[in-house]
Amino acid sequence: MRRFATITLLVLAVACTKTETESSSTISIGDTAATSTTATTATTTTTATTTSTAPPPPAIVLSANIPGDVQEGSIPPGSDRNQKFAIAQGDFDIYSWNTFIALNWPPGPDGKGDPKKTIGQNGDNDTVWEHYRDVADVFLPGGAVPTWNGPEPNVPPECKADYTPGERIITQVGKTPNVLTVSEFSQPFNTGPLIDQNGVYTRYEILVNKPMFDYILSNSLYSKAGQKVFSGAVKFPCGVLGGAEGAIMVKSSWKIIDPSEKARFHTANVLVYTPASTNPKYGASCSRKTVGLVGFHIGHKTNLAPQWLWSTFEHIDNVPTEEDVAAGKLKAKYNYYNPKCNATDCPPNKVPPRPWNPTQVASFHSQIVRMNMFKGGSEFAFTSAAKHNAEALKLLVGVNPNSVWQNYELISTMWPTNPGNGLCTAAPSAPLGEPAPSFLANTTLETYIQGPPLAPNVSSNCIECHNNATMTTPVHSDFTYVLQRAK
Amino acid sequence: MSNSQYDVVIIGAGVSGNLIAKELGLAGKKVLILEAGPAIPDSREQYMENFYLALAKTPESPYPSLAGRTGPGVGTLPDPAVLPTPRATVLSIGGTPDVSHLIQSETAGVSGTTPDNQPEVRELQFSSTYERIGGGTAWHWLGSVPRLVPHDLTMKTTYDVFYDWPIAYSEMQRLWGLAESEIGVAASVAQQQPLQAAIGMTYPPGYQYPMGPIPSSVVDQTVSNGVSGMSVPGEGSEGGKEYSVFVTNTPAGRNSEPYQDRRVCAGNTNCIPICPIQAKWDPTVTLGDALNTGNVTVSYQSVATNIAVDGNNVTQIDYLKWSYDDKGNLQSTPASVSGTIYVAACHAIENAKLLLLSNGQKGIANTSDQVGRNLMDHVLYLAWALAPSQVWGYRGPLATGGIESLRDGEFRTNRAAFRMEIGNEGWNFACGDPYTTTLDFITGTNGSQLNPGATRLGGTALVNTLNDRLTRQFRFGLLLEQAPQPDNCVTIDQNNKDGLGIPRPHVDYGFDKYTLEGFRVAADTCSAIFQQMGAEEFTQPTVKPYPPDKYPDGKTMGPGDFNYEGKMYHMYGAGHIMGTHRMGTDPDTSVVDATQKSHDVQNLWIVGSGSFPTVATANPTLTIMALAFKSAEAIKAALGA
Amino acid sequence: MSAALTGFQSSFLRPFLDPTNLSEVFYNFAVAQVGQTAMDNLLNTFRAIQKQPAQQIADTLLEVKIPTGKESSQAQLAQAIILMWYLGSWYPPPGTNGKQQVISSQAYTKSLVWNVAQSHPMGFSAFTFGYWSQPPAGLDAFGVNTGGGQ
Repeated sequence: MRRFATITLLVLAVACTKTETESSSTISIGDTAATSTTATTATTTTTATTTSTAPPPPAIVLSANIPGDVQEGSIPPGSDRNQKFAIAQGDFDIYSWNTFIALNWPPGPDGKGDPKKTIGQNGDNDTVWEHYRDVADVFLPGGAVPTWNGPEPNVPPECKADYTPGERIITQVGKTPNVLTVSEFSQPFNTGPLIDQNGVYTRYEILVNKPMFDYILSNSLYSKAGQKVFSGAVKFPCGVLGGAEGAIMVKSSWKIIDPSEKARFHTANVLVYTPASTNPKYGASCSRKTVGLVGFHIGHKTNLAPQWLWSTFEHIDNVPTEEDVAAGKLKAKYNYYNPKCNATDCPPNKVPPRPWNPTQVASFHSQIVRMNMFKGGSEFAFTSAAKHNAEALKLLVGVNPNSVWQNYELISTMWPTNPGNGLCTAAPSAPLGEPAPSFLANTTLETYIQGPPLAPNVSSNCIECHNNATMTTPVHSDFTYVLQRAK
Repeated sequence: MSNSQYDVVIIGAGVSGNLIAKELGLAGKKVLILEAGPAIPDSREQYMENFYLALAKTPESPYPSLAGRTGPGVGTLPDPAVLPTPRATVLSIGGTPDVSHLIQSETAGVSGTTPDNQPEVRELQFSSTYERIGGGTAWHWLGSVPRLVPHDLTMKTTYDVFYDWPIAYSEMQRLWGLAESEIGVAASVAQQQPLQAAIGMTYPPGYQYPMGPIPSSVVDQTVSNGVSGMSVPGEGSEGGKEYSVFVTNTPAGRNSEPYQDRRVCAGNTNCIPICPIQAKWDPTVTLGDALNTGNVTVSYQSVATNIAVDGNNVTQIDYLKWSYDDKGNLQSTPASVSGTIYVAACHAIENAKLLLLSNGQKGIANTSDQVGRNLMDHVLYLAWALAPSQVWGYRGPLATGGIESLRDGEFRTNRAAFRMEIGNEGWNFACGDPYTTTLDFITGTNGSQLNPGATRLGGTALVNTLNDRLTRQFRFGLLLEQAPQPDNCVTIDQNNKDGLGIPRPHVDYGFDKYTLEGFRVAADTCSAIFQQMGAEEFTQPTVKPYPPDKYPDGKTMGPGDFNYEGKMYHMYGAGHIMGTHRMGTDPDTSVVDATQKSHDVQNLWIVGSGSFPTVATANPTLTIMALAFKSAEAIKAALGA
Repeated sequence: MSAALTGFQSSFLRPFLDPTNLSEVFYNFAVAQVGQTAMDNLLNTFRAIQKQPAQQIADTLLEVKIPTGKESSQAQLAQAIILMWYLGSWYPPPGTNGKQQVISSQAYTKSLVWNVAQSHPMGFSAFTFGYWSQPPAGLDAFGVNTGGGQ
């Protein structure tokens, strides 16, 4: 494998180096790290790049198979930093698109992607990930034992009137009522909710796949009591290229839309539930709405990513970039930006004023701009995302010109450049795996920590923040915050 | 905003102000907070970036209108005369008025004797600092929340010195419980148990802290092992009494489990000046809750200039709303606002200043003549050493343990008690490490005293040498009690104003024998403990301030230095500003009552550590919030809630 | 050269895929401060001896045997380079203009003196709750070159 081989062999390679290579004086302080040497070392350890049995280079494909891990292409010797990252970031962005496509594939009766169908063939479709288990059904009141595909255990009283008994959330094909809870409107640092141009709160939802669910169940981590007696380290299962799926968690953000907008979104017809709150004070409520997907996070633990891989997608109408705003290149309509309001009247990226009450239509509308989080060394993330978004778009539109999936774009993928031993274990000298790019945010999910300035440990970095995640006990929960929901 | 009717107008969005606003907002009362400084930012990205880029990572370094950070590199300290909200900063201690907001001594301490022939030191700099921003000074509090001990509240009755607090210990226990829940305190009553015999610490039966304790550091464990079985003798009339020396885990206002939607402590070792992940509680958390009630409004960049009274009744607060125009010029607009009840919550120095400035500088709420007087701090004695084996500082919260067992005893009749905080940050506080020692061994200097031979190193030799020194560094910070002295006071400086034309505080400060004797014993105790542990002591009195050293020869006495009985000491402020509007039952000798209501002005509460009649040795923030709960209850009752 | 001067593994200072790219940032920063000639002179001195053991290289470039205050400006540039890596800051060598400054927030959060102390930069901990109650991992887990080679 390319990268970890580099780490373990480089010291020896350097010790044997007789002369400094021509590249080092221009890009380092005379450091003897010989890129040509390491690249040579690396290519000899990847599977046969010079014989006829070479695997095809990584590519985005229309397939229901969820990749177990990233597939790494080879990096030619003598590549400079930009070239290296163009290839490496590209590998991970390809992985992200393949995972997005597979997760959004229409499911068969077993919940896996149905090989007889294709994503978007009828415009929109039910998806594999929407049959994953919502964390609200994993971490139950009283720490009750969850089931993977049993009936929705806790239909709130306010929803019962509109809820058809016996309907299941996970296994039923076709539209099922789903329940979004309001505790899912807060963001990292409790910075604030995201309010759309109609004054309505954006809702979030977190689901886990079966390997992740099974780990939680078999280790009794679904309850506070179970977490208390758990000993050792939390270690979710890793995906393997061509093998095991590994733990996957998905976080989706939804906007309440008018049914007339359905053609541009992946939508669901759901019961939107708001539990009661004491401060601010409001009672519980539940109503059926059509919601459109506006943001999508995929977290996936793999052999090459013990710190997980973090892919994030957004609806293409969400927001302008800061460059768009500066150049005046604005669309007619955005999900979270009013192009007719100037920066003085609508200063961008401000947190809504408190009190935060999702049961009322807010007079404040979030005016959100995508900040440039890749400047200062991570620019390769832009070019790779743009390139692979264009490739994916072509494939998706090729299925059906009305595919709703053409309205989603990859922002980027965060991945550990130091993957440890390549077998699901981090390097001791790099517990965070030295992530690339250095910062990454989804404007619907990490709205208010996009910088500027971009400050390490505060501005959005998936791995840095998730490294602080624990269970309800302070035990490190292996990069997921779901375990702290246990009751 | 003028003449809108609020139930309560609070001046200052800090610990006390935000807590009172929250309690009143929850009770359905309409509250306005006037905050002098800028708003709480939507995220702490800018504050963290300020901190990262600061050369001198002082408590003030993340926060706005900061000294020493004018673009990259060492800048000049801004002139308080042009700032709308100047405040005391570490980098301006001992500075001239074009650098120091507080107008005070610029020299070393002057030793002398009092009229009744007792030793004293005057002309010392008051060295604790504060912020004037949304959220207040406790953005950069350490997070330590030990409780007071019973005798702390009865110094007059028990030791015949100073004053008793007008509140019973059992009442404080109730209030501390409320504060510990609001902050989210991680501690274990069982771990505090040895302090019952040692200093009388007790808890209500069955009391449980909100979260389990923060684990002790390797430094704590090493000190604990090192002092095993140790005791220090009493002095004078206490000859023969031995005080046991042992380490106790320190209760902390930082998360040991997810709490209030905030993360668990990850040991960023940065509590002061700022926790990057908000595992440590700060007043912005409470303000968020206050705003969620829908009954609380905050007006930022609103500097109160006058508390207008009519007889013994406040009628309105006059203030200046300031901003910068697009050319960068400071502008301000006068305004006023009224309510039924008023709360001055701008911390001990600014509270005193505002009270003294009000009513055409005749002052208000001051028939006792104690406003501004009895300015106290926990004077900090810092001692540092190299342990005989590695202790690995620079890890974990800044402090997780301390020696509490010397905080009380009969000696308090004669000299200051102290709380010993064990630092987890090596010699960072003591001498600006790891920077100083690193510079020493690379460039050949000797700022740390670890490189007397002016050696220069590189490569593995440098790594091994630095590793050996840095991993053996540790320090004690002793919070010394200070006597309330009327001559330690905040007054109005008539010659120096800030950018809004408001006169600045003049400070007179020094130590009496009570505290000087405390220093002597503190120094001896630290040396004895180091010796017991086999540690090599490096405490030295004159510490070069940074940036540039004002005293090139390193031996001249500078600000904060003083002599006592032939020995030179250096004093630091612990950041605990107290005493300037003390509470008591007697209106002739105190400014506020037990609920922090002014004796003189019937609808004015004056809150914060300025209300402390004595300071004892526990970090004050827990008690500040506890008293704020009591004030909120009284204000609710006064409003007929 | 940085590896020899700092005592760290060169793969740690400049990994194959380097997100923060500090080696290039530092190189460019130093050249902007002292000029390309001074940097080239130092690099040429290094290249002439780069086959030697790392400690010997460091001692030679830093002129450790010369009394402090009398070492050459080239040695002082080498000092400044170590300080960039260790403290994330530029300390202008004597006789040069330029301000003492933190180079960037990432230079600070990846500064190496904390690794030497087996800890982490104050304000940036990649460790987890309770780590401070146990001794840390050894220096080799912090990127230090404990092998004595290059």
